[in-house]
Amino acid sequence: MKYRKVNERVLKQLAAIVEPNDILSDRERILDYASDESSIEPHYPEVVVRTNTTEEVSKILRLANQELIPVTPRGGGTGLCGGAVPIYGGILISFEKMNQILELDAENLMITVEPGVFVLDLHTYVEEHDLLYPPDPGQKLGTIGGNISTNAGGMRGVKYGVTRDFVQGLEVVLPTSEIIDLGGKTVKNSTGYSLIDLIIGAEGTLGVITKAILRLVPLSKLSSTLYVPYKNLQDASSTVSKIIQNKIIPPAIEFVDQSSILVAERYLKRSMPRNDAPAYVLIRIEDKDETQINADIEAVGEICLENNALDVLVADTRGKQEEIWEGRSCIIDAAKAEGLVEVVDCVVPRASIPALIKGLNDIAKKYGVECQNFGHAGDGNVHTNILKKTMNDDEWNNKIPHLLLDIYTLSVSLHGTISGEHGIGLTRKQYFPMARDEKQIELMKEIKRVFDPNNILNPGKIFDLD
Amino acid sequence: MIIVVCIKQVPEIADVKIDPNTKPLIREGVPTILNPFDEFAIEEALRIKEKQGGEIIVVSMGPSQAKQAILKCLAMGADRAIHLTDSLFAGADTLATASTLSKTIRKFVPKFDIILCGKQAIDGDTGQVPLEISELLGIPRISGITKLEIEDRKVVAHREIDEGYEVLESKLPVLLTALKGLNEPRLPNIRGILSAKKKEIKIVTASDLDSNTNQFGLTGSPTQVVKIHTPEPRAGGIIIHEDDPKIAVNKLVQFLKKERIL
Repeated sequence: MKYRKVNERVLKQLAAIVEPNDILSDRERILDYASDESSIEPHYPEVVVRTNTTEEVSKILRLANQELIPVTPRGGGTGLCGGAVPIYGGILISFEKMNQILELDAENLMITVEPGVFVLDLHTYVEEHDLLYPPDPGQKLGTIGGNISTNAGGMRGVKYGVTRDFVQGLEVVLPTSEIIDLGGKTVKNSTGYSLIDLIIGAEGTLGVITKAILRLVPLSKLSSTLYVPYKNLQDASSTVSKIIQNKIIPPAIEFVDQSSILVAERYLKRSMPRNDAPAYVLIRIEDKDETQINADIEAVGEICLENNALDVLVADTRGKQEEIWEGRSCIIDAAKAEGLVEVVDCVVPRASIPALIKGLNDIAKKYGVECQNFGHAGDGNVHTNILKKTMNDDEWNNKIPHLLLDIYTLSVSLHGTISGEHGIGLTRKQYFPMARDEKQIELMKEIKRVFDPNNILNPGKIFDLD
Repeated sequence: MIIVVCIKQVPEIADVKIDPNTKPLIREGVPTILNPFDEFAIEEALRIKEKQGGEIIVVSMGPSQAKQAILKCLAMGADRAIHLTDSLFAGADTLATASTLSKTIRKFVPKFDIILCGKQAIDGDTGQVPLEISELLGIPRISGITKLEIEDRKVVAHREIDEGYEVLESKLPVLLTALKGLNEPRLPNIRGILSAKKKEIKIVTASDLDSNTNQFGLTGSPTQVVKIHTPEPRAGGIIIHEDDPKIAVNKLVQFLKKERIL
C-alpha cells in the first residue's frame, strides 16, 4: 500500500489539533481499538485520537489526506464484520467523547445527537419522554454513528423499518475535510440526489458522521409479549408469514431455536418461560388501548395455534417482557462466551425463511458443525451462530470459507443477500461480488473515488479499489 | 382443597412518576398489572390444586378496570372470581378493606381451607390487609412464606426472617402470604386467556354484604391519609479514593472519629 506512516511530525500536528491526553499511542491503551466483535485478528492503529468537535475531525482528515495516512472512524466497536478495524494502521478516530444528546425537538419529534451516543442511552432518554427511537439492534452498546454506518436494523424492523428510515439529517466530514450538512428536519425532501442515503450504510468509507438528526415516534405505553414454542422450525417460521398475511404487523416478531434459548439461559443464569421445544417465536404487541391489545393477542395467538404452536404464553408485565427480550438480545454474546463463533446475517424475502433455515441446517450438517438459528423472522433476517466448539483450528479455518460460500449461495438463490444489518466490512468482502453485479460494484467504486480521491477513509472495507 | 386468593390490581410501578410540584403520583396513562406478590399467591394456589385437586376462587376489591387483573388469574387457571366493585367501597383503608374481604369470604366461600395473599401490594406497601383478614376470620396466619408443603390437614411453611427462615406449622384453615422465591409464576397462555372469558366473575356490591353500608369505604375507615410526601432521597455513601491504603485508612478513622462513631 502507498500509505505513509504516522511519524513524529504528524503526531506533533495532531497534538496541535486535540488535547494531548486525547492522543493514545502506547500499545496497551490502543489494544481496545484493534478489533471489533468479529473473529478477525487484531490490527493496531498507529494512533488513536479521541475527538471532541466536528472541527477537530475536519482538521484530522485534512492532515491525513495531505499525508496519505489511512483514517478509521470507530463507534462502540461492537461491529460483527471488521468494519471499524484499522487494517492499514494509521489514525483511528474514536467518538467516545462525542457522546452528547444535543437537542430533543418535541415539536418536530426529532432528536439531535453526537455519533458516540450509545443506542441504549438514546432509547432510555427518549422513552423517558414517552417517545420511541424504533431501531433496536441486539447490541445496545453500539453507538448511533456505527448504527448509521451499517444501517443497523434490529427487532422492530418488521413494523418500523431500519436505521435509514429514522435518519433525518447528518453532519458529515468528507475525507477531503469539508463539513457538509445533509438532509435536515424537513419530513419531505425532493432536492437533488440523496447524498445522505449514500452515507447511511457506507460503513464509514465515504464520510465521517459527526452529528445526526433522528426521527422519533410516539411510544405505545401498553405492550405484551407472546412466547410461542413449536415442535419444528418450519411451523415456527411459516406462522410469521401467516400473521402478516392476516394484516397484523406487530413491532417485533423474532424467531429463536432451542439451542439459542439454552445458550441464553446459561449466559443469563436464569430460565426462560420454556426451553423444551425445538423452536420459538417471540412476538411483541403494542397499542395505546387495552381492548385493542387484548384483541390482537387473541388474534395472533389463534394464528399461532392454527399453525401448530405447542402453546402461546403471554407476558404482560414489563419485567417479564424484558426478561424474554433480554434472552433474545443476548444470544450472540452468550454464544461467544462459550467459544469461537462465526455470525452469519442472511436476509431473504420473508416467505423464504423456512427454505433458508432448512438450507442452513443442511449446510451445518454437511460440514459437521453445530449452529444456532435466531433472528428477525418478521423481516426475513436470520442470524446463524456457527460454533467452533472443540474443532481444531486448522479444520475450522479450512471449513469456514467453504461453509460461508454455501450459505451465501443459498441466500442469494432465495433472492436474498449476504448481510441484512451487520454489513460487509472486512469479513464479507470476498463474498460481496456474489450479492451485487459487476456494474453496481463499479458504480460504488466510482462513488468512493469521488468522495475520497486518495482512498484514505476506512480503506479496504466493502471492496478493494483496484 | 378450597383456596381463596385475594388479589389487587396496581399501577406498573416502574412507570409511576412523581410530580415534584404538587401531586405525589402521576397515574394517568400508567399501565396497570396484577400485584406481583399476588402472582406468587395465585401460582402457589395452582400448584396446590394440581397436586390435591379442589377449587380456586379469586377475590378482589377494585374499580371495574380491576377485571383485567382478575382475568389474568382466571387465565392462569383459577376457577372463578368474586369482584367487589361499588363506589361505596372507594377510599377504604386497610381495615375497611380487610373487613370487606373477610365478610365476602365468610358469606360466599364459608368452607375454605387456605387463603393465599401476596405479602403486600406494591402501591400501598402496607402489608396489613392479609393479616387483618386472618384476625377478622379468626384463623391462624403465616406471613412472608418462601416454601410451602401441605400434609393431610396441616401446612408447613418457611417464613422469611432477617436471620434466615423459620419453619412454621399450622392446621387448616390458614391464611398465608406469599413472598418472592415461593415459586416462579407461570405465564398465562392463550387457551387460558380465551377460557377465562367464560369463567364466572361474580359482582358483589356493598348492599350484597350488609345493609349498613356505612362500614365500607371511606366512611368505614378509622384511619385517613392526611398527607403523602416523597421522602428525601438518601445521600450517597462516601468513597475514599487513595492509592496508598495507609492514607485511606487514616482518612476513614478520622472521619469515623469526627462522626463520633469511634
